[in-house]
Amino acid sequence: MRLTPGPARDVDLDRLDLFDLDLYSYGDPHPIWDVMREKAPLHHQVLPDGREFWSVTRYEDVCRVLGEHREFTSERGTTPTHVGVDDPAAGVLLTSTDPPRHTEVRRPIGTKLTARAVKSWEDSIRRTIVGFLEPALDGESFDLAEKALLLPAMVTGPLLGIPEKDWAELVQLTAMVTAPSDPHFKTGSEAATLAIAHHELVTYVKEWVKTRRADGHEDNSLLHHLMSVRPGGAPLTDEEIALDGYSILLGANVTTPHTVSGTVQALIERPEQFEKAQADPSLVPNLVEEGLRWTSAACNFMRYAVDDVQIGGGTIPARAAVVAWIGSANRDASQFPDPHQFDITRAGAKRHVAFGFGPHFCIGGPLARMTLRIFFEELLQRFGSIELDGEPQHLRSYFISGMTHLPIVAQKRKTP
Amino acid sequence: MESESQAAPASAPESLVQEISALWGEHLNGREVGADDDFFELGGNSLIGIKIIDRVSQEYGVELSVRDFYLAQTPARVAELIEQGRART
Repeated sequence: MRLTPGPARDVDLDRLDLFDLDLYSYGDPHPIWDVMREKAPLHHQVLPDGREFWSVTRYEDVCRVLGEHREFTSERGTTPTHVGVDDPAAGVLLTSTDPPRHTEVRRPIGTKLTARAVKSWEDSIRRTIVGFLEPALDGESFDLAEKALLLPAMVTGPLLGIPEKDWAELVQLTAMVTAPSDPHFKTGSEAATLAIAHHELVTYVKEWVKTRRADGHEDNSLLHHLMSVRPGGAPLTDEEIALDGYSILLGANVTTPHTVSGTVQALIERPEQFEKAQADPSLVPNLVEEGLRWTSAACNFMRYAVDDVQIGGGTIPARAAVVAWIGSANRDASQFPDPHQFDITRAGAKRHVAFGFGPHFCIGGPLARMTLRIFFEELLQRFGSIELDGEPQHLRSYFISGMTHLPIVAQKRKTP
Repeated sequence: MESESQAAPASAPESLVQEISALWGEHLNGREVGADDDFFELGGNSLIGIKIIDRVSQEYGVELSVRDFYLAQTPARVAELIEQGRART
């Protein structure tokens, strides 16, 4: 999808299809969300197969749906690919669990991923990123979006305990989960693509655990940590380990690349912003927040209404699916004046909900923030200029907003 | 479905097809499953697929490829994969 929207246009709210994949591959959802926030902050859609969902698009409502688990439960699934079909992993998978169990399991995992805890990885992540950027500086065309797909695996592989030989396969599988209709990742039908990817990922973690148990090997990795935590006094079941391990792999892999590509694209289109950041590296942390807001790689998450609930000027009936459009909330003018301006000096950029909001706030957020900060520090220090070298291609997904191709040509910076 | 669906010749024995249909039924809330029913339309998902592939491995000694299993999508074609697997061993 386009991140810099085209002109405003008339939108027929009654015939709107928010799950139209072409809208995300080739289209421009922002002007639609603008109209929705303005005229239909609570929107109802029936899919061709009869499944229904409600949408909220305003910042305030998105925060409420994501944050208030007593009104909006996660226990029947949280991704729009599961709209109207109860997620078989719900209630086991951490992301599909409500407090208090959620709090109990999340706390011990989260201790490994706080800003303070991930700080110890800074030097090794910086070396990885320098190595990643090096080939982009040989003057040849460099497909940033394609290469960036592997970046999170390079960064988090050692931290998770995943050997390098498995990275490419795992990246392919996680991409299949988030964009099962994208021609780059589709295998057979969309349902088959999802099932193959889920199956292989869960099996991967199961085998990983089995091998570690068998050889008694202990390390400092996050997956190993999952095996040793005792939330509520008891260890996680093998199924919980497999599903949470899967969820962490997914969270690590599928969003950060798109924030990298989308933010670089925004800088290419706005050389004055690029120069500003280069002149003052202390702006990088805010550039990262603005990039997160701008790209909103996790485009939405889903909840189910527990009871009839009033929101956005209407009523969602009990047990109905609700999609909270994060990409829209992050362009809500009530929070972000001139929301479609990309501005690395924006005050309050950090209020974005790109990492979600409330109890399910991205557990890897601090790691993602640090990785992105290092990425842009190194990029700005090494790259004198960046130009587009072909048409960007967008991911065919209504769940993850991102790019599959972003060919660039970069020049080395002369005076670092 | 794409080319995979047309590729399967009907050479798995009827009895095997019935056994596989029954096995699916067991894992799909005991419902009646026909030889050409679609796994996903029956409500199949990866957690059920993992169990079915495990059972096939235990009972028939054939390790089905995950991709082949989900692309086959019907008991008749999965029976076919098992036949092919047996022929190789």
